[in-house]
Amino acid sequence: MSWRWFHQWGSPRWFYERAGRWQLVCGWLALILLVVGSLWGLGFAPVDYQQGNSYRIIYLHVPVAFLAQAMYAAMAVCAVVLFVWKMKLADVAMQAIAVTGLAFTVLSLVSGAVWGKPTWGTYWVWDARLTSMLILGFLYLGLIGLRAAIQDPDQAGKACGILVLVGVVNLPIIKYSVEWWNTLHQPASLKLTEKPTMPASMWMPLLVNILGYYIAAAYLVLGSMRAIVIGRERRASWVKELVGRA
Amino acid sequence: MIFEPVSLNISQVSCERDDRLLFHNLSFALRSGDILRVAGPNGAGKTTLLRMIAGLFEVQDGVITIDQEPLSERRHQVLYIGHKPQVSRDLTVIDNLKFLTGFDEPVVKQALIDVGLRGYHDSLVKELSQGQGRRCALARLWCSEAPIWILDEPYTALDVTMVETLDRKINAHVAQGGLCLFTTHQLPQSLNFETLELGRVD
Amino acid sequence: MSIEKRMLARELKLAAARPGDIFKPMWFLMLVISMVPLALSPDSVLLADIGSAMIWVATLLALLLNTEHLFQSDFSDGVLEQWLFLDRPLAWLVGLKLIVHWLFHVVPLICITPIAGLMLSVPTDVLIALLMTLVVATPALTCFSGLGAALTLGSSRSGILGVLVMMPLFVPVVILAAGVLIRATDGSEILPLMALLGAFSLVAATLVPIAVSAAIRLNIGGSN
Repeated sequence: MSWRWFHQWGSPRWFYERAGRWQLVCGWLALILLVVGSLWGLGFAPVDYQQGNSYRIIYLHVPVAFLAQAMYAAMAVCAVVLFVWKMKLADVAMQAIAVTGLAFTVLSLVSGAVWGKPTWGTYWVWDARLTSMLILGFLYLGLIGLRAAIQDPDQAGKACGILVLVGVVNLPIIKYSVEWWNTLHQPASLKLTEKPTMPASMWMPLLVNILGYYIAAAYLVLGSMRAIVIGRERRASWVKELVGRA
Repeated sequence: MIFEPVSLNISQVSCERDDRLLFHNLSFALRSGDILRVAGPNGAGKTTLLRMIAGLFEVQDGVITIDQEPLSERRHQVLYIGHKPQVSRDLTVIDNLKFLTGFDEPVVKQALIDVGLRGYHDSLVKELSQGQGRRCALARLWCSEAPIWILDEPYTALDVTMVETLDRKINAHVAQGGLCLFTTHQLPQSLNFETLELGRVD
Repeated sequence: MSIEKRMLARELKLAAARPGDIFKPMWFLMLVISMVPLALSPDSVLLADIGSAMIWVATLLALLLNTEHLFQSDFSDGVLEQWLFLDRPLAWLVGLKLIVHWLFHVVPLICITPIAGLMLSVPTDVLIALLMTLVVATPALTCFSGLGAALTLGSSRSGILGVLVMMPLFVPVVILAAGVLIRATDGSEILPLMALLGAFSLVAATLVPIAVSAAIRLNIGGSN
């Protein structure tokens, strides 16, 4: 890895231009994968013998829930990069991921509730996974709120970085404690029985969709990063030039 | 008390804040006996520069050293008085100063007499007038062992006699081998200082 | 006088100068507890069932309430920035402040929980367990809410943001304490869980002041 390569990432303009191209690639790739995976999963995968067709929401719910958690970890990586290499782009990424991460968390909670109605007979149960997802949502919300409250973007970024790092250390503890808490009380009477094996015809489309959603997330994050870069660099000459051309 | 010779080096320091370039490649050095007035219009970065030298604001670009050592190693050699009150409103004058200076009661009481706050040592800071509060903050100069003084607008809210007292104190400090940086909008009459003009970025 | 002694003397005098900060959260706690039977029912069996949990949550809220502005006046007076010139690591000084804060503003809260327990008909053995969990858990809670206070120092319109940001991190502490209370109600062994809670509190009390000092430094850097 050469230093030149590393330094290019510090240039907002370089990033803005490249990210536009990457975004295009990600967008098309995600679209293809999601169309294939969703059609396959919703239309052609076999019906579940216990849950009937309602299980098909996993083709949305599972990838989204994966992403909600993975994005917090990605933010922690960005926070480390921000503090160690003082790279402002890492902060931009953190800001973009926080919003996207919250969106995925909400989506996973909502899709979970929709799935819960036919399966558990209720939209919400205090199941361990649901509860820790809810807490994760509050963590994302806290980050967005903290950033909004601090005027100076550099300072807001560092404050969020501290919060992300404290949060990422706590997240596994929260997860395990919530799981333990769930066993401590009466286990939910209608618990989703996990089948040890899923036939390939069911998990193959899921795999395609997971990949698709990851790439779609990259598309969204790159898009909002570009918007944030433009906003922060609005007084730079290259941005004025760009706006003038448009 | 005579200080060991001390030097403060500012080299190639730049600062950008809120998308505005405040100063660029600023370099200067101060030695024992120097007094520097940092001047410039409002918003030129005077406070920012002083806070950078005091180590309160991160140096983004450039190096600041005290005797060739990084700032963070020599923090306790710096006395900084900013334009916040610098004293807690809910504490007495003497408790504030005992905490900030680490000196015992007799020394602090003498300092209070020197700044004209005789008899006020047991008053709460919130009971003082603005000028008296400022005198209380400045009393730290009379019980300080730090060779480097960084004073942001020290003359604000002071009367004529206190201004003269402060000038005498700064002169005595640099005569002992200390150095002093300050900002002000009124020109002190009895100080022999150099001026650094900010606000003209080329 | 050593820097530590100076810090402690100052914090004690500040606590003495602001007695309202000690009493208001206690007052708040008792008010919340008085609302419970009004909102639920005066039936002592029902109250005893949820009493200990209610007291825990109310104490947590009262603690958050009085830690929210922990550094605010020192910050706006410009005294906090003077701490950086003291010849000690900032995290250590922050730790000292948090300890004094815990002693003078949190321990009094814990001291009145037995009265709240009597009002909600909490059985004695559960009440003892409740007191123990509060003593062991509050250092961690104090540190975390101190971090919330430090992170939001620089923004004038933050409101209760510090509280909102930090509350999700309280989850493990609340769960462990609830576990202790459930076992105390059953009459089973509580020591292992107490040990776990203590370990969490100890780790938080050691590491969180470092994050708090980073947040303070950050906000000092951003102010004039």
